Amino acid sequence: MYRIITNNSLCRDKYQELLPVEYLEGKGYMDVLLTVRDYIQKGWRLETHPMTGSLKPNQTPYKSIMVSDLPLDQEEFYSQEMTIENSILSCRKFLEIKQTPDWSEEIRKDFMIVDLSLIEGAIQKVL
Amino acid sequence: MSKLRVVHYINQFFANIGGEEKADYKPELRNEIVGPGLAFSQAFGDEAEIVATVICGDSYFNENVEEAKATVLDMIKSQSPDLVICGPAFNAGRYGVACGTVAAAVKKELGLPVVTGMYKENPGADMFKKDVYIVSTKNSAAGMRDAVKKMAPLAIKLAKGEAIGASAEEGYLPNGLRKNFFEKKRGSERAVEMLVKKLSGKEFETEYEMPSFDRVAPGPAIKDMSKAKIALVTSGGIVPKGNPDHIESSSASKYGQYDIEGVTDLTADTYETAHGGYDPVYANEDADRVLPVDVITDLVKEGRIGSLHKYYYATVGNGTAVASAKKYATEIGKKLIDDHVDAVILTST
Amino acid sequence: MKLELGIIPINDIQFGPESKVENGTIYVNADELKALILEDEALKSVELDIARPGESVRIMPVKDVIEPRVKVEGPGAMFPGVISKVATVGSGRTNVLRGSAVVTTGKIVGFQEGIIDMSGEGAKYTPFSQTNNLVVICEPVDGLAKHAHEQAVRLAGLKAADYVGKLAKDIVAEEVETYETVSVKEGIEKYPNLPRVAYVLMLQSQGLMHDTYVYGVDMKQSLPTILNPTEIMDGAILSGNCVSACDKNTTYHHLNNPVIKDLFAQHGKTLNFVGVIITNENVYLADKMRSSDWTSKLCKWLGLDGAIVSQEGFGNPDTDLIMNCKKIEEQGVKTVIITDEYAGRDGASQSLADADAAANAVVTGGNANEVIHLGPMDRVIGYPEVADIIAGGFDGSLQKDGSIVAELQVITGATNEMGFNKLSAR
Repeated sequence: MYRIITNNSLCRDKYQELLPVEYLEGKGYMDVLLTVRDYIQKGWRLETHPMTGSLKPNQTPYKSIMVSDLPLDQEEFYSQEMTIENSILSCRKFLEIKQTPDWSEEIRKDFMIVDLSLIEGAIQKVL
Repeated sequence: MSKLRVVHYINQFFANIGGEEKADYKPELRNEIVGPGLAFSQAFGDEAEIVATVICGDSYFNENVEEAKATVLDMIKSQSPDLVICGPAFNAGRYGVACGTVAAAVKKELGLPVVTGMYKENPGADMFKKDVYIVSTKNSAAGMRDAVKKMAPLAIKLAKGEAIGASAEEGYLPNGLRKNFFEKKRGSERAVEMLVKKLSGKEFETEYEMPSFDRVAPGPAIKDMSKAKIALVTSGGIVPKGNPDHIESSSASKYGQYDIEGVTDLTADTYETAHGGYDPVYANEDADRVLPVDVITDLVKEGRIGSLHKYYYATVGNGTAVASAKKYATEIGKKLIDDHVDAVILTST
Repeated sequence: MKLELGIIPINDIQFGPESKVENGTIYVNADELKALILEDEALKSVELDIARPGESVRIMPVKDVIEPRVKVEGPGAMFPGVISKVATVGSGRTNVLRGSAVVTTGKIVGFQEGIIDMSGEGAKYTPFSQTNNLVVICEPVDGLAKHAHEQAVRLAGLKAADYVGKLAKDIVAEEVETYETVSVKEGIEKYPNLPRVAYVLMLQSQGLMHDTYVYGVDMKQSLPTILNPTEIMDGAILSGNCVSACDKNTTYHHLNNPVIKDLFAQHGKTLNFVGVIITNENVYLADKMRSSDWTSKLCKWLGLDGAIVSQEGFGNPDTDLIMNCKKIEEQGVKTVIITDEYAGRDGASQSLADADAAANAVVTGGNANEVIHLGPMDRVIGYPEVADIIAGGFDGSLQKDGSIVAELQVITGATNEMGFNKLSAR
């Protein structure tokens, strides 16, 4: 079973009929990463890279990540745990430099569209 | 403009006092140029002059670190220098540690610009390269000319408060702070050259050292926690009040073993942190926040954990060299095994 | 496959009644070119401007940079699969208007990045301060979707470059550069003692404003494959990447890929340059596994001794880079990787989002977080108001006098991961 963790309402609206979506309302990029880390540490499998897109974690407020309960071995677990931890470190590094600005509605919408486009390439492959 | 006043720190060997048999030589201040100071003095030209040389034997320094450091520092301070030079120590281990210790203290305690030099594999390099500028030298005194050529201009720049370039430009050992600069060749050409060297088995130098993560295979799960003996180990610097072992606030050179038999709670009156890398207020208020003795005691009372080991171990993780940390961990690990500890809770900050 | 590049040095661009190239100057009939670009119904209006090296001019936000070229001999035409019909390019002769570029700007989304300063401090960091730039400023029709807008701006740039390039079709080149790649078999016979080296070119392929097209194919839909280096010089690879200005590869970078050029320079001397393996940087981890497996398999299959791997972008691609490096090294093929760093403003943080001990030979394009002060310019082409919301710019990064305090990542091409620049870090 696949599941999407997102704080992007566009992503939720488009895919919640097709896949389970955990929507983190009003939460930030970092909150999505931390939630995904919990999933990984409970044995879930990371399906998309936590740092999709070249937008910096203090630039875009939105993040959508796909996980699944497909089996993974010790080696994969280790590598995925490192990937999410490194992403959290990187996110923290950027947020320490500068907090994500309080963007206008219009700009938020643009970030949502880009975030949705980034995860869509993967979602389309598992539907 | 008057010349910058320089104090030079060297060991007994470079002061022509003697070799190993004189390594217990106590700190001495001379108002003259000694040994390698001559080469520096020539390199400084009109910009700076060596007004004094402080000499100390390597054994003496390393066996009486606190005392020697204080004395040397006082001697340096007495000359009101604008700049301090230590060494270079090349590959001499104890000399390197002494140069690094003095240099770090000069920077931190006297707030003066300071430069030292040593071979990259000198143990002092790993210990102090993040604290002070250590110019990369050859592994023997045959590299003196080359070392002075790099150390002198860097020292002058520092003393004048000029911008310091990247390690590759200035010749100091990478200190973990990445800094941009323009190379002579573009990146693709450097990549091709690096690959050709790598293919022909020649030595090449990467521009970015990958951080290495030690992989530790998880131990088997403990079947019955209610019978397990748990120990606490921390790099958060929690020590009995007064820091009896004088664990350094950064670049720790030791760890401590402390008896907590019968202790159920760490209080502001009994424990504190020696760590200099985080705001100590909350740890000093209640050291259980870093070393959770109170919670473990509760769990023992509730029967969920067998017992708490009578000793805990602590060091300061702040800037401490990985090699040192590994050494401490190996020793601590052995003691814990000898004491039949079943599991360890490691806390950092 | 053998390609000759006829170099036509350009030292000025001017608007004029007749579009032509004469004595090193490109003359552009602005109305004619605008009309051509406006054939695209997605665009409402187009403006053209010129920025020359040394001028007090700032261009922002930059989308793509393209060098005008034209095929003079040989099959196909420039930008196959997008501007011209699909045909294998990379042989014959191509004329290059060296010293000129088409630069596109446009407000596709609310957040924008990419600065080119033609003089001052910022000019040191972007290669496009050294080219005579024809700037294309595009406005979409109202309510145009983002994907369509991105495509319209991308095509506008390519059309303009194609238009300008064709002006040089009959000009006799001053200098001719020749590049040739032979078959695997011939290569082994010709250089039996030289190490066999290929270039693994990673292409951005994550989604909207993060895509790359190869002969018109969206690279995220493709598996890794092999190209002749000269195909890339004829525009087989086009950038659709508008994010992370400092380390995205513009179309100009693809056309003038420095790794290809420097490998050719050593070809037959210290190494045998076998060819280019292109691969993608997808978001789906299974794709990453597949692509890196495939890339390393191709390296092995080509009998390589060494490979240079270049990256594009930030974050996610770090994982592809490390996977590629590790798996290629596991095949017994030695690697050098080219990347850039996000080490924080003080340079103290971990530079990459991934790491492995196999990556023991790294070339870096510098720390993109380092702060830079860009002085005011007399003229800004594009949209000056976006400075305040530009990547890496903090609130108030746009000063009253027009100067900008921002991170290096805002400058187009500043920390390029093909090794285009001399900038590095230690």
